[in-house]
Amino acid sequence: MDNKGGPGTADKACSAWSRLRGRALSRHRRVGKAAVAIATAAIVGTTGLGSAGAASTPTVNLTWWTMWSGATLQLLNQMVTQFNKTHPGIHVTETNIPSDATTSTAKLLSAIAAGDPPDIFTEWWPEIGSFAANGDLVAMGPYLTGQYAGFTKWEYPVAVQGGTYKGNLYAVPMSLNSWALYYNKGMLKKYGIKSPPKTLAQLDADQAKMWVTSNGRLQQMGFYPDVNGNGFQFYTSFFNATNCFNKAGKYDFEHCPGAQREMNWIASYAKYPYSQVMALQTAVGQVAGGQTDIWTRGLAGFVLSGPWEGAQNVPTSNPGMLGNFGVEAFPGTVPVPSTLGQGNFNIIPKGSAHPQQAFEFIAWLAGYHNEAFVGSIDPKGGWVPAGPSVTKAPAYQAWLKANPWLSGFLPQMTSPYTQAPALTPTQSQLFAAENTATNNVLQKIWTPQRALQYIDQQGNA
Amino acid sequence: MQATDSPPLPSAPPLPRAQRLSPSVHRRHTRAGLLFVSPWVIGFLCFFAYPFFATIYYSFTDFNGVGAAKFIGFTNYVNLFHDPLFRTSLFNTFYYTACELPLSTIAALGLALLLNMKVKGRAIYRTIFYIPSIVPLVASCMIFVWIFNPVSGIVNDLLTSAHLPAPNWFFSIAWSKPSFILLGLWGLGQPMVIYLAGLQGVPREMYEVAALDGAGPWRRLRYITIPMISPVILFNVVLQLVLCISYFTQAQVIENSDIGGPGTSTWFYVQYLYEQAFQFLKLGYSSAMAFFLFVVSGIIMVLLFRSSSRWVYYANEPR
Repeated sequence: MDNKGGPGTADKACSAWSRLRGRALSRHRRVGKAAVAIATAAIVGTTGLGSAGAASTPTVNLTWWTMWSGATLQLLNQMVTQFNKTHPGIHVTETNIPSDATTSTAKLLSAIAAGDPPDIFTEWWPEIGSFAANGDLVAMGPYLTGQYAGFTKWEYPVAVQGGTYKGNLYAVPMSLNSWALYYNKGMLKKYGIKSPPKTLAQLDADQAKMWVTSNGRLQQMGFYPDVNGNGFQFYTSFFNATNCFNKAGKYDFEHCPGAQREMNWIASYAKYPYSQVMALQTAVGQVAGGQTDIWTRGLAGFVLSGPWEGAQNVPTSNPGMLGNFGVEAFPGTVPVPSTLGQGNFNIIPKGSAHPQQAFEFIAWLAGYHNEAFVGSIDPKGGWVPAGPSVTKAPAYQAWLKANPWLSGFLPQMTSPYTQAPALTPTQSQLFAAENTATNNVLQKIWTPQRALQYIDQQGNA
Repeated sequence: MQATDSPPLPSAPPLPRAQRLSPSVHRRHTRAGLLFVSPWVIGFLCFFAYPFFATIYYSFTDFNGVGAAKFIGFTNYVNLFHDPLFRTSLFNTFYYTACELPLSTIAALGLALLLNMKVKGRAIYRTIFYIPSIVPLVASCMIFVWIFNPVSGIVNDLLTSAHLPAPNWFFSIAWSKPSFILLGLWGLGQPMVIYLAGLQGVPREMYEVAALDGAGPWRRLRYITIPMISPVILFNVVLQLVLCISYFTQAQVIENSDIGGPGTSTWFYVQYLYEQAFQFLKLGYSSAMAFFLFVVSGIIMVLLFRSSSRWVYYANEPR
């Protein structure tokens, strides 16, 4: 500036001082006003002159981490919206995290270690045993009182079994899986097969007619155990081999007759080209649980899958298959229909800020005292509910009536041969080992016995 | 520094008093210096030093990521050597490294030599060969799986039409590792550019003199080019070695639901470490795996650097 000491300097200085003083005064006024407001609020609060409701029932905010995207995420959002609408004291915020088991587990553990976990976390069952064993979960027993006293009796027994570790309930499914044999009607007709297989030998014989290779490349197949990642684990209930323990409580699949029968049956498929089946699976897009698989594309005669296959995958990826498929109980070696009881379980991580309200939300999601709403959502996802009373809901009944192929999925939920894998700290390792064992048997790398030994080694590690 | 017989330089005259820094100024400068380097120091301590020492500590414990770690001595290390999958993953990783490292070095150097030649459209060729390395890794993997799919991929279409055997590539035990090696060769752009920069630093006069002396292209390559760019080769080899030993992303993306498959033919070490840590929550065991890998990598690096004195030529260093 070149007018230092000039005529305008004093004016500017005065004007600057006035501005500063003005700001200071206005700050004093604001502070004064705030003090008056606080005092007024305190008086109103203590004398009960204000709105009593707003002050006494603050909203509890719950965070829910889920692992879905796409159409399923939209259904979950509908459920959250409905819950928030019907429960004014609780507000749930859903956050979608990657579905990869490793990533979601790491994220949850990091959040628990950091002391800021979500209130509810949806987990596919293999991890729950280790979480429970490590003390990372809140046991739900204390909340099973009052209106929730009958909750576990309300659930399917297999749902309780799948969420219980050492006698404590740690997880509640929002939906269960039920597995059965899908068949392609057109292919059965083409190969002169009059009815779907009722025995394992029949399935093996029927599917053998359907394999087509051209120019050294697989074009079509009958049935293959490892398609869609369905390894040893997924067939265990059909062979009564879900929970094979010895007297010491250790895994003992090697000496379990059901497991031996199952692994020998899987090994009988080693005559088919593993590499080509996997390549065909990748070529049609069944990657990371995608909705298109060899069967929905009409390239396989049979597949083991759940209600979502017909309810979601077929309409989405190949509507031409609608009306051209049927479902039968999977023909294992047990005398009655059965299935592997597993599902998508909700858990309350240790450190949850509001475990009571979290349990309330979890029970609501399962359909407890909420049958009508969940009964309208489950059909959209192709889900079997956690409790049988949901299936009585009008919307669910309408869905069953409109899709007769669903009829087999519900009765097998109460079959005495339906079992959930017992929760153990090493279940995740066991599951990975079962997949590795299946792959190695199908590629003739291991004998069935070696494969079962490996499963035991990993499960007991 | 190069040794010389020249007389020592006269020592610099002492600074005049006025120019000497007073202790307070010196302290202020030190504080300012430390302040400037503190972001790096803090980052190093938090993200390198602490995790490194924590890994060593946890490798002697039974720890699941939450709660207290239980000290168990060398149990994790003993268990490592009784774990068949540990051995398999180690073998697969070193198999991949042993094949990928020399192949990628030769291929990248070969490409750089070709692209260093004065040919028309050289810039276009350089761009074309560099482009694959800027394609995101996951996208590259998906493209590879697609074009190498034995049922529907274009590669087997071409092989079949040429009456050549069509392997099952990523889906076969015999071909899965070679497929990953091929995928590794796809992203050669990075080392190729570094080699190219090295080649352009070789003085042309040396080639001219060698040509005058009757040296052919092979001899010029053998006795001029390779020695002159040997520091660049060492740099690239070290870089590639680290990438090979820590091979993870491509395998994880391609195998997806069939981790390590088919069979255990592509069960790589870091994948196994990751699975143990974040799926099975065995953070103690995986820390032992990580520290073991660090020791093995360290030994390899030491051997590599010790051997470099025999084959790496630094112009300013006495031979």
